[in-house]
Amino acid sequence: MKADAVRGHLDGLLLAVLEPGPLHGYAIIAAVQQRSGGVLELRTGTIYPALNRLERTGLLSSSWQSSGERRRRCYELTDAGRRTLAGERTAWREFTAAIGSVLNPGPAPGLTA
Amino acid sequence: MSADGRETDPVDAYVAELTAALHGPPRAKARLVEEIRGGLADTVEARPDRGLSLDHAVREAVREFGTVAELVPGCQRELTVAQARHTAKAVALTAPFLIACRYLAGTSGDDSAGLVPRTAQLLAVHAAGVAIVATLLAAAALAATGTLARRLPTVHRLPLVVAWTGTTAGIAMAVTSLALATAAALATNWPLLACAGVLAAVSHAAVAGAARACRRCARLPVPGTPGLG
Repeated sequence: MKADAVRGHLDGLLLAVLEPGPLHGYAIIAAVQQRSGGVLELRTGTIYPALNRLERTGLLSSSWQSSGERRRRCYELTDAGRRTLAGERTAWREFTAAIGSVLNPGPAPGLTA
Repeated sequence: MSADGRETDPVDAYVAELTAALHGPPRAKARLVEEIRGGLADTVEARPDRGLSLDHAVREAVREFGTVAELVPGCQRELTVAQARHTAKAVALTAPFLIACRYLAGTSGDDSAGLVPRTAQLLAVHAAGVAIVATLLAAAALAATGTLARRLPTVHRLPLVVAWTGTTAGIAMAVTSLALATAAALATNWPLLACAGVLAAVSHAAVAGAARACRRCARLPVPGTPGLG
């Protein structure tokens, strides 16, 4: 699935993979790809400004962590981030249920013999 | 290859190109670039073919990671918002000095002091009005780009509004400083003179510089989505 199709759901995807615990940028993108079975394609570099934005709006917090010579910025969900993720999940369930009922209609009530 | 003949690390070259293309507050920019450098290095390390040729591995990693041209719009949007917030903070923290000066000028008023001190008082009153409006706009901008941005899309022109708010506050500070310094010198009122000196320094060092940087960021052509997210 191409990046354009994912764009509107990027925030939800990033929040969801951070739910179990803190991760750094590359691990976040790897988790998205792993969870989607490699179906979701994202330009890895494009998540960094998105992570900055989510931190600015208080949905994530972050801190530098050293690993050998490399410093990595690790992100974790805030309480507001967990609430937003719950809201994203509810909205997604409602959206997919509505689309599903249009694409796969059951027998219309009142039309059966 | 670099100008001095040495081989340039392809990751360093990528980061240098990205750094040159981005504008924003130095700390925010340095942090974003460092994160991206680490991410690209991780992507190169994760390539199964990195042992064959570093150049080839980096080329493939960049295809996966995104080219500089692909990364710049998103990064610049975020840095422009960061610059707008930096400018708004500078205005919100320094504009109240103008309000304080209005009270200083008011309390030190002397009807027999002459035309210049009275003019300075009048200027201080107007500058205080500018400061109140600027502070309110700056606070609104900070809220709109902070927690409120979860629910509301950030207005595309907000950074430009913040830039001109900062510019106006900076000019008001400079004019007030000059007027109060003149008045204080004539009235030999040293506390006012000191206050005017602080105002001038704060105005030029913080607000004017931040507003200038914000104007530059807000005018950059950034292709992509109309909102700043």
